[in-house]
Amino acid sequence: MSEIHGAVGAYVLNALDGHDLHEFEAHLADCATCQRKVVEFRQTATELSLLSRTTPPPTLKESVMTAIAGVRVLPQEGAVEADQASMATEAVPHRALTEVLPEPTDELAARRQRRMTRLLSLAVAVVTVVALALGGWVVSLSQRQPPVAVASVTAETELLRAPDLKAYTIDLKDGGKATFIASKSLNRALFSSGNLPVLKEDQTYQLWTLAGPLTAPTRVTPDALVGGGSAAKQWFTGPIAQSDALGISIEKAGGASAPTNVQAQTAF
Amino acid sequence: MGLSAVPSGPGGDASRTDPAPSVDRVGRDAENAHLAELVARSSRGHDDAFSELYDLTASRIYGLVLRILRSADHAAEVTQEVFVEVWRQSARYAPDKGSVLAWMSPIAHRRAVDRVRSVSSEVARDEHYAVTAVVREADHVWEDVEQKMDIERVRKGMASLTPIQREALGLAYFGGYTQTQVASLLQLPLGTVKTRIRDGLIGLRDALGVEA
Repeated sequence: MSEIHGAVGAYVLNALDGHDLHEFEAHLADCATCQRKVVEFRQTATELSLLSRTTPPPTLKESVMTAIAGVRVLPQEGAVEADQASMATEAVPHRALTEVLPEPTDELAARRQRRMTRLLSLAVAVVTVVALALGGWVVSLSQRQPPVAVASVTAETELLRAPDLKAYTIDLKDGGKATFIASKSLNRALFSSGNLPVLKEDQTYQLWTLAGPLTAPTRVTPDALVGGGSAAKQWFTGPIAQSDALGISIEKAGGASAPTNVQAQTAF
Repeated sequence: MGLSAVPSGPGGDASRTDPAPSVDRVGRDAENAHLAELVARSSRGHDDAFSELYDLTASRIYGLVLRILRSADHAAEVTQEVFVEVWRQSARYAPDKGSVLAWMSPIAHRRAVDRVRSVSSEVARDEHYAVTAVVREADHVWEDVEQKMDIERVRKGMASLTPIQREALGLAYFGGYTQTQVASLLQLPLGTVKTRIRDGLIGLRDALGVEA
């Protein structure tokens, strides 16, 4: 059995990341044996959740039922695949995507993006903007106030409430705008973009964390991969507390170990 | 297959290739058929069916998410996201690809793991803390299991694994760790961890007699 087949268990448990995940997903697309194993192992892993069965708080149900009332059931087939196909098509690779992309059919993602954008605009409203010669903007949050009162604590709102929050709006070299928001004290950073040009099928955006000065970093660590689109959002996985700068590049699908086509980077 | 609800012993017809259905098996099949019907009705916009689906599955989904996140606030929020996603995707559930719970649980696991990885603080990144916490948690799981008849089967399945298989499986599934992190926590080579996770799932599958 070749080594790649052996990753099927880790894949089912969501224990693959980065390069390993992309490599296995590429393999899975063509391997009937692994596809069958995935179905089988998912069934097996599901039995494990018997061990953690816990009654949820009674208020949760009402909240769920209220939430679904505003959500449309996706049609049976093709929508997701069709979206991907249309995004990958060569006919519109470099046009302004805001013109050609339809309203996202992923309503949940779109709603979350809208909420995020609202929160971000509130956060950004209280910052001083300083232009830097990095092809981007550095936004310093010296007098930040709590951005918004949100009842439930979410990862995003936690980040936006962090006392040392920094937000950076960046312009990508090949087009598109994005935002990095980061907190060293929470050791977390989020990449978000409402306008990230869709790449060719064999390309991906890749995030990076850097230590040391931007001109001569002492460490450059590959981070998560991001697909293009009108609702791109991705948490950094790397050590934010130990990093001095964040970056984004365009790489071959599957990502790279060192950045080749840097789109933007910014110290924080 | 006859619907004899009485488990027959191993003997019987020597030419038989399928094991006789056990009470559990028949019960689970009937339960799943009901859940599948609820999903189908949900996909046609029946929120009463979805309400029942929630009642029948929420403890499994919420419990899994809570075990991974260890925060009631985060768990409630992620569980809500999972159910909204299940509602959205309800027309795309394919019964031939596994049971309803085997369709929902991976959605919950994926979202919980994404969340736990995005919120991991310096404390959670302290490997010593993490490994002791998970070991304590594992002990707790085994105590808990012994008090519940309906999960005895899974406990036996887990008990049939080697300790390393069990630990690797537990750290990945309930801990939400990547295989690289599991390798580091257990101080084993990555290749070994990958193999132990796969072998653990195979062992568990065989012990449980799980059919996709």
